[in-house]
Amino acid sequence: MNTAGKALLATGVATAVAVARRRRRASHDDTSERWLAVTVNRAPEEVQSSMPDDLARWHDQVEISVRPATGDKGTEIRVKSTGEVPAHELRLALRRAKSVLEAGEVVRPDTAPTHPGPMGKALQLVTNRAGGGGRL
Amino acid sequence: MKALCWEGINDVRVQDVPDPQLLNDQDMILKVRLSTVCGSDLHLLTGHIPFMQAGDVIGHEFMGEVVEVGSGVTKHRPGDRVVVCSFIVCGRCWYCRNELYSLCDNTNTNPAITQHLWGADPGGIFGYSHAMGGFRGSHAEYVRVPFADHTAIPIPEAVDDMSALFASDSAPTGWMGADLGGVKQGDVVAVWGSGAVGQMAARAAQLLGAERVLVIDRFDYRLRQAELAFGVETINYAETSVGDALLEATGGRGPDVCIEAVGCEAHSTGPQYVYDQVKSKLKLEMDRPIAVREAIYNCRKGGSVFVLGVFTGVVDKFPLGALMNKGLTVRGAQQHGQRYIPMLLDRIASGELTTSHLATHVMPLSEGARGYELFKKKEDDCLRSVFRL
Repeated sequence: MNTAGKALLATGVATAVAVARRRRRASHDDTSERWLAVTVNRAPEEVQSSMPDDLARWHDQVEISVRPATGDKGTEIRVKSTGEVPAHELRLALRRAKSVLEAGEVVRPDTAPTHPGPMGKALQLVTNRAGGGGRL
Repeated sequence: MKALCWEGINDVRVQDVPDPQLLNDQDMILKVRLSTVCGSDLHLLTGHIPFMQAGDVIGHEFMGEVVEVGSGVTKHRPGDRVVVCSFIVCGRCWYCRNELYSLCDNTNTNPAITQHLWGADPGGIFGYSHAMGGFRGSHAEYVRVPFADHTAIPIPEAVDDMSALFASDSAPTGWMGADLGGVKQGDVVAVWGSGAVGQMAARAAQLLGAERVLVIDRFDYRLRQAELAFGVETINYAETSVGDALLEATGGRGPDVCIEAVGCEAHSTGPQYVYDQVKSKLKLEMDRPIAVREAIYNCRKGGSVFVLGVFTGVVDKFPLGALMNKGLTVRGAQQHGQRYIPMLLDRIASGELTTSHLATHVMPLSEGARGYELFKKKEDDCLRSVFRL
């Protein structure tokens, strides 16, 4: 591997480690106490009357709060686990519900390349869970 | 089908890849006619953006013909000629409704990466790494276009393919820099970078009423092209002090609006460039913000700086003191293309905006690797390589 390749590998590994660390920290913080939230560009009554299955299916294991967002920005949907629902699953459900409510569908990712190589496979480990990670 | 794929650092090759499929109701499949390289692709090629997988199809500035539409597509039909914005947009989230299209909430399928890096995720982009959604790019015979009604725009009959191509990214990006940079009647505008985006920003500034527009670069052929196409004034920073030239051109005030169209791998002369290169090689600095520093330093008091060039992370020696004490407004964005593309196509049709001169090297996709080599090394006076499919 040339110098540029090593540098890229180092950057990629460092980023993956940073993402994993943040994810661990976030998972710990999110286990039960904190509300996870998205803002949907729809009126509260529309959100209430057409809650997508992605969120509705958790109804007996989460607390769901719907309230108007400030500044005419739509509706805030907030969820908090009252059982054992992982934060990862809730983030994924919130994002999917938001997309369905706003755009009518959840955009599917393109198929992965056929020969990603070692670095690409490491990146796939990150992206496979990226839909439920991040900051909400 | 054939596609130009990223296979590793500075290694792109034409490969056989599976044809794209309709995956969502609002998708369409486009037969690509023209697809161009972009300066921001070089950050992928060099490994500066470390979120690529071998086999990823690159390319994000393109136009073509619709061949198949999903059941949820209402605005396009097979046979339509469209230009596709590099940003994929849902058209209905709060950001899209407020014409901040590149910030679309619903199109980045890997939001966690950029949320951790930047605090929030912008929209998805064609062929621009898995941090931006991992969508396949346009240097291919066919490409899937999600949310097609909002992502793609019909091309008026009076606009030829090559002119329309640059309405995909270069022209709207440049226009946005002048528009959101606040260019007004009588302004003096300085543009760093005489590539396609810089030239489009310069022309936009003229059309928005700027009295003088000065374009800065180190390649004479690029400056000459901008001068010939649009009659702008030019400064070659390898030969002339930019600060002195701008003071002289503005009666000692500095430009009212400064537009940076260079990005994170900027070149320069002198010790500052060596310093930034060393720091970036040691991974102590992610981006080289040389043109941004210069724009902030040279902007007039109370002026405006707009960052159009692509940046990825943190920078060093950011002139916060100049920004604060001179009362500057600094703003940046990826292109909100859908806000501008229909208007730009009309301006192209009327002859007010010319874009086809940007395509200095037109070639088949099979010569994709050569196209990037010419573009990267600025050989043969290459401004843009365009692949015809």
